[in-house]
Amino acid sequence: MSKGIIISPDKCTGCRTCELACSFMKHDNFNPKDAAISVLAFDEVGLQVPMTCLQCDDPHCVAVCPVNALEKDENTGVVNHDREKCIGCKMCVSACPFGNMTYSSRLKQVIKCDECGGDPQCVKLCPSGAIVYKELDSSMERRRNIASCFKEAFGEVIR
Amino acid sequence: MKLKIDGIICEGREGETLMEVAKRHGIHIPSLCYRKGFEGLARCRLCLVEVKEGSRRRIVSSCVYPIKENIEVTVTTDEIQRMRKNIIMLLLLKAPNNSYINKLAEEYKVAAPERYMNPLDDENCILCGLCVKACEKMGTNAISFVNRGIYKKVSTPYDDASKDCIGCGACAEVCPTNAILVEDNEGKRKIWNREFNMVKCSLCGSYFATEEAYKLMQEKLNDNEEPICNECRKKIAADKLKESFANIY
Ligand code: SF4
Ligand code: FES
Repeated sequence: MSKGIIISPDKCTGCRTCELACSFMKHDNFNPKDAAISVLAFDEVGLQVPMTCLQCDDPHCVAVCPVNALEKDENTGVVNHDREKCIGCKMCVSACPFGNMTYSSRLKQVIKCDECGGDPQCVKLCPSGAIVYKELDSSMERRRNIASCFKEAFGEVIR
Repeated sequence: MKLKIDGIICEGREGETLMEVAKRHGIHIPSLCYRKGFEGLARCRLCLVEVKEGSRRRIVSSCVYPIKENIEVTVTTDEIQRMRKNIIMLLLLKAPNNSYINKLAEEYKVAAPERYMNPLDDENCILCGLCVKACEKMGTNAISFVNRGIYKKVSTPYDDASKDCIGCGACAEVCPTNAILVEDNEGKRKIWNREFNMVKCSLCGSYFATEEAYKLMQEKLNDNEEPICNECRKKIAADKLKESFANIY
């Protein structure tokens, strides 16, 4: 059973701490553009939706990468990106069905969530519990996991 | 297999190069052309180190030197420092106005002899060949080394617009001296003497990849949907998630 980041938009206040936590953790700066998680606001309904990599079961990014810089770790469920192997072709960026893969030309690297190797900082610093990191076992949690919400919509790519 | 690098005992596997072992142990060896997945280029020679095997000493390029049991490696000796300085001086003559090479020269306190310097030279390429390899890995093989001697350079066949190039820009991304020009402008991208049309996002209208690169991606995924940029894809996904929550409450 693998762990995953579970998102509850109803709890998100839109403070964007997660974006800053990610950018600081990974790139030592406070730039939401460098974060692998981003919060989208839907003002009409008063909801904020944090979006990050869903660590798909059959990842499109892995399928298109010409140098195997992306790989699904079957134990942790995480799709890992090897920065040293990556040649910056940006195939993965246009392939991700959820737009969760970005490329920073300034940093010359792909920006992708790796769940901080099992200790996601965004989760740690989220003040409202809108993102939590846990075993994806009970059906309620599965339903809450953003991945499962898309199951019908996007079919086979996600777990 | 055990070996010593700068006095630190390192563990390595048969067939690994010195550079790989050093990297894994957090030992820095200067390099320009070494890149994981592109082993074996050995063009810049900045990665020289001294290897002591029994009573024999020699200087090798660490990025292509396969490790041996019990060797003792010194990353920087006076002699190596002198050789590195010479190499950097030659690189400086090759690309006198390149900021990366200039930074390196500053770090090593190297100045090239004035009389050989052409201050107007706008060459940035140091002929390491990483771009050629990257293109090969993309399966496009659009660029290669052409000509010989002082005329040697990287280009497309006959400097023409290559029909194989997909304009992905991976060559420019891997270049250690930022020598490859990619110009994005109003839905067009210019690279390697060819102009590409960019794909327009069917929702927001922004341009995000060349048509050729996008097509290659679609072929790999058996996808023939309308092109949507990653920002819009993210919005759609978030919107779906929002809907499922808006319905609960
Ligand atoms: S940008 Fe890097 S990770 Fe993405 S497909 Fe290209 S080589 Fe692979
Ligand atoms: S890194 Fe070894 S020759 Fe360039």
